[in-house]
Amino acid sequence: MNAAHLAHQTALRLKESDARGMNATLHWSREVLDREAARIDAAPAGPLTGVAIAIKDNIVTSDMPTTCASKILEGYLSPYEATVITRLRAAGAMIACKANLDEFAMGSSTENSAFGRVQHPLFPDRVPGGSSGGSAALVGAGVVPVALGSETGGSVRQPAAFCGVVGVKPTYGRVSRFGLVAFGSSLDCVSVFGRTVDDAARVLAAIEGLDPLDATTFDRAPMGQVAGRSDLKGVVVGLPKEYFPADLDAGVRAACDRAIARLRELGAEVREVSLPHTRYAVPAYYIVNPAEAAANLARFDGVRYGPRHVGPAGDVRALYQATRGQGFGPEVRRRILIGTFVLSAGYADQYYRRAQAVRRRICNDFDQVFASGVDLLFTPTTPRPAFKAGAKSADPVQMYLEDIFVAPASLAGVPAMSIPIGRDEGLPIGGQLIAPRFAEGPMLAAASAMERMIAAEAEVRA
Amino acid sequence: MTWETVIGLEVHVQPATRTKMFCGCASTYGEYPNTNVCPVCLGLPGALPVPNAEAIRLGVVGALALGCEIHPVSIFARKNYFYPDLPKGYQISQFDKPLATAGSIRIESPDRGPLTISITRLHLEEDAGKSLHDRIPGFTAVDLNRSGAPLAEIVSGPDMRSPAEARAYLVTLRQLLVYAGVSECSMEKGSLRVDANLSVRRPGDPLGTKTEVKNMNSFANVERALEAERARQIGLIEAGGRVTQVTLTFNAATGEVRPLRTKEDSHDYHYFPDPDLPPLVLDPAWIAAQRAALPELPEARRNRYATVLGLPEYDARVLTQDPAVADYFEALTRAGTEAKTASNWVLGDAISGWNETGTFEVAPARLADLIAMVDDGTVSGSAAKTIYRELRSSEDAPRDVATRLNLVQVRDTGALAGWVDEVLAASPDELARYQAGETKLIGFFVGQVMKRSRGKADPKAIQPLLLERLQS
Amino acid sequence: MTIGAGEVRHVAQLAELAIAEADVPALAEQLEGIVAFVGQLSELDISPDELAVNLGPDQVRLRADVVAPIPMTRGPGSFAPLFEEGFFVVPRLGGMAEE
Repeated sequence: MNAAHLAHQTALRLKESDARGMNATLHWSREVLDREAARIDAAPAGPLTGVAIAIKDNIVTSDMPTTCASKILEGYLSPYEATVITRLRAAGAMIACKANLDEFAMGSSTENSAFGRVQHPLFPDRVPGGSSGGSAALVGAGVVPVALGSETGGSVRQPAAFCGVVGVKPTYGRVSRFGLVAFGSSLDCVSVFGRTVDDAARVLAAIEGLDPLDATTFDRAPMGQVAGRSDLKGVVVGLPKEYFPADLDAGVRAACDRAIARLRELGAEVREVSLPHTRYAVPAYYIVNPAEAAANLARFDGVRYGPRHVGPAGDVRALYQATRGQGFGPEVRRRILIGTFVLSAGYADQYYRRAQAVRRRICNDFDQVFASGVDLLFTPTTPRPAFKAGAKSADPVQMYLEDIFVAPASLAGVPAMSIPIGRDEGLPIGGQLIAPRFAEGPMLAAASAMERMIAAEAEVRA
Repeated sequence: MTWETVIGLEVHVQPATRTKMFCGCASTYGEYPNTNVCPVCLGLPGALPVPNAEAIRLGVVGALALGCEIHPVSIFARKNYFYPDLPKGYQISQFDKPLATAGSIRIESPDRGPLTISITRLHLEEDAGKSLHDRIPGFTAVDLNRSGAPLAEIVSGPDMRSPAEARAYLVTLRQLLVYAGVSECSMEKGSLRVDANLSVRRPGDPLGTKTEVKNMNSFANVERALEAERARQIGLIEAGGRVTQVTLTFNAATGEVRPLRTKEDSHDYHYFPDPDLPPLVLDPAWIAAQRAALPELPEARRNRYATVLGLPEYDARVLTQDPAVADYFEALTRAGTEAKTASNWVLGDAISGWNETGTFEVAPARLADLIAMVDDGTVSGSAAKTIYRELRSSEDAPRDVATRLNLVQVRDTGALAGWVDEVLAASPDELARYQAGETKLIGFFVGQVMKRSRGKADPKAIQPLLLERLQS
Repeated sequence: MTIGAGEVRHVAQLAELAIAEADVPALAEQLEGIVAFVGQLSELDISPDELAVNLGPDQVRLRADVVAPIPMTRGPGSFAPLFEEGFFVVPRLGGMAEE
C-alpha cells in the first residue's frame, strides 16, 4: 500500500469515528495527512513505513496544534517538535492525528478534557479510561493500529485495559520526554498503544534511546526487535498478593485466574509474592504528582503563549490569575492547589519529602521481589472494567483509587504493560505485567506468548 | 554611643561561557530583544534543560579561587515564584546541596587592615530575562535574551563592618574571579551584580534586623547605597522606630534608598529538587585537576614580585591588580628586561596606553628591544619615550623608528669632538671660569654639546671628551 | 488536619489562580479529603535522612559549551498573546515589585 492510499484510508476512518461522536481526536486534517504521505513516499522505507499513528495531544508537533486538551493552550502551534515525533517520522510512520486526553493528562477517564469527554470505543456511555483515552479509543476502534500516549501514573495501561488493547509503559528514562508537555516530570513516560504486542514493541523500538536534549534518558544499547517466544519455560512469574484484594471485581478476578492458568500452561513457574508498601502508592503518588505539576504548570501564565485573560485590576497579577483561573479546568486547578499546598512553607517536610521516602520504599519492594528470583509480576491492570461516564466524577479520591494497581510501577520507574486477557459482559479486561528496570524485552516476549495463546483459544471457540 | 554596621553581600557573576546555562543559545549581550532564544529559555511547553559543562567548570574554578570546599554531589532545585521575566515560573538554582561552601578571601580593609571574609557558599543557577517598565507606556516589556544565562551566586558571611569594607571585598572578589578566568565581572554589562544585606546594632548586641539593598551599578554606588541605608536605619532607631525586613532600591541620581513594593507572599518561595536534572556529580580527580590548573592568584603573585623579583611593595601591588597587566610585565621580563626597569615602563608609558584602549599595543618583545637600546646607549631615555609613542601605531622595529626619527645617539668621537670644539670656542667666559676652578660648569658644556647635536649626542660619551679638552 | 477557606485562598494566591468565591467551600472540602487521604503516609515511620528518589541516570549528563540553539520553525511573535517592538508585553506589575 502506498502512502497516499494510507492517508486516504486513515482520513476515512478518522472521519467515521468523529462522525459517530467518539470525540477521540483534537486535530487532524486531510492536508496534513497528504503532506505526510508525500514525505513518506519521498523517503526510503523504514521499520514503521505503512503505519499510521495517533499522538496524544500533550506531545508537541509543529504542523498541528498542541493543546493538552486545555483552553489555556487553545490554538497553540509549537515552533518545534518532540524527539519522539522526529524519530517516528524517521522510521517512516505517518503522524495521523492529535488525540484527546484528560486536560494536561490529569484524570483516569478522559472526562476532564476541555473539549469534551471521549467515548469508549465499544460502549459509548462508558469511559475509555485515561488520561490517554483518545489514543486508546482510536486503537480500540481500529482507526489506527498504534498510538502514542503518556504515562504519569497509569495513563496508558489503564485505558488500554478498558479499551481492550495493548499498552506499554517503558522504564523511566528509556524514551525521551523532550517535547512531552511535563506533568509529573519524575514519573512521565511517553508510552505506546498497539492492537498487538508486536505493533507496540515496534513503535517502542523506534522511539526509545538516549536523547541529548533530555538529561534523564539513559545511554544504553538499543532494545532492538523483541524475540517472540511460544512458551514461558523457566520464567518465574510473581503474583503480588496486595493486587488481588478480597473485594476485587469478580469479572476481573475470573479473567486473571484464567490468565494465571495460561501462564502455568505456557510453562511459567507462578508464585505468590508481597509488595508490602503497595497501599501507600496512591497517596504518595497524589503528593509527588501535584507538587511537580504545580511547578510544571506555572509556565502557563498568559505572558508568552496561549490565550490571555486580563483581570479587572488590569495589572500583571490579575492577568496571571484570570488567565490561569479561566484557562485551567477544575481537576487541573485542584491539583495545582494541592501541589502548591504540599510544597508551601511548613508542609514540604510533612508531605513532599515523606512521599519521596515512601517512593523509595516502593522501589525497594520491587527490587527485593525481583532479586528473589522473580522475573515478572502479573496483576490485574484495574480493579474493575470501564465504568459509566459521570460515575466517579463527584469524588476525586474515588477516581484516584482507579490507579491503585498502576501507580506503583510509575513511582518505581519500572516497565509495565497491560494486555487484554478476556471480557466480562463484553467489557474488556486487562492483565498487567511488571518487569525489572530495562527488562522490556523479556516482558514483551512473555506478553506476546500470552497473546498468542489467547488468540488461539478464541479461534477454537469461534 | 556608637553603632556597629553588619554587612553581607550576595554577588552574582556570569561565567564566561559561549552558551547559556541549560540550552545552546549564545550567552551574548545587547542583541535585538527576544532573538537569542529557543524553546528551553522561552519556557515553551515540553522543553527540558541540559546543563552546560563549561559553566560548571567555571563555577568550580571560581569556588576553588575563593578557597571553597567543592561538593562532589550537588543538586539543582526549582525555586518557584511568578514574575513576567521568569519564563518557567521557577528558576533552576541550587538550594540545600550547593556546588561549594565554606570558603574565604583575604581583603585589605580601609578601617581594620588585613582581614578574612568568609564565603558561605557558591552555587550555580540560571538568570531571568529583563523587564523594562519605561519602554511602552503603561506596560511592562519583557526581553528573554538573557533568560537562562549562567550565573554563579557567591554569598559572603555577615563579616563586613562598613560600606568601605564592603567595597574592598568587592574589589578583591572581582580581582580573584577575573584572575581565575571565571568571568569578565563587568557591572556595566551585567556580568557582575551585587545585592547587599545590612543591619546595625550596638557593639556586643545580637544581630539587628537586616534589609536588602539592590540596584547598584558600580562599586562606588554600593558604598554610597550602604552609607545611605546605614544612616536611614540609625536615624530610624534613634528616633524610636524599628527596622523592618524590607528590600530597597538605590537611586544613584538622588543617592537615596527607597523600599520596593513587594507582594506579600513573594518570599514564600518553595524549593524542591528539579526532577529534570539528575544529581551533578563531580569526580574528585577532576576537581583536583582543576585545582592544580588554577592560575597564580593575585596574593601569591604579589608576594612573588616582592620577594623573588625584589620589586617595591607599591610596584608589586599595582602590577598585580589586573592579570593582563601582570602578564604583560612578566612577558617583558622574559624578553630580557630587568624587573625594576620593566616595572617602570609598564607602570609608566605602557599602563597609560592600556587605560585608554584596554590593550597593550606594543608587543613585549618590541618594548624589550627598545629598552635594550636605552641600556646600551643607542637612544636616550627621552628619545625612547618618543619612539614608544610611535611604536603604538606602527609595526616597524624600534631600531628602524629610531633611525627614521633621527634619534640614534651619536657616539662617533670625530663628530662629538667637532661639537665640543665648537662649544668651547663659542663660550670663552665659561671656559675661563671653569679653568679658574668653577668645575661644576662641566654640566653647562655637556648641555651645550647636546643642544648643538640636537639631542643626538650620547651624554655618556661627551663627558670624557670634554674633560680631555679642558685639561689640555 | 482541617483546611479552611482562608488556607484555600492563600494557596490560590501563591499559585496565581483566580477561584470563584462560591467554589471555595467545596474546594476546601475536596482538598481536606485529599489531604486526609494522603495523610495515610504518616502511619509509616520514616527517618528524615531516607534517600530521595532519582529514577534517571545516577548523574546528570552535561552539554558541551557549543552554540547550537534548538531551531524554531516560527518566532515568539507568532505565539505571543501581545508582542510589540520585539517584546512580550504585559500590564504593569501592580502589586509586584518592580526592579
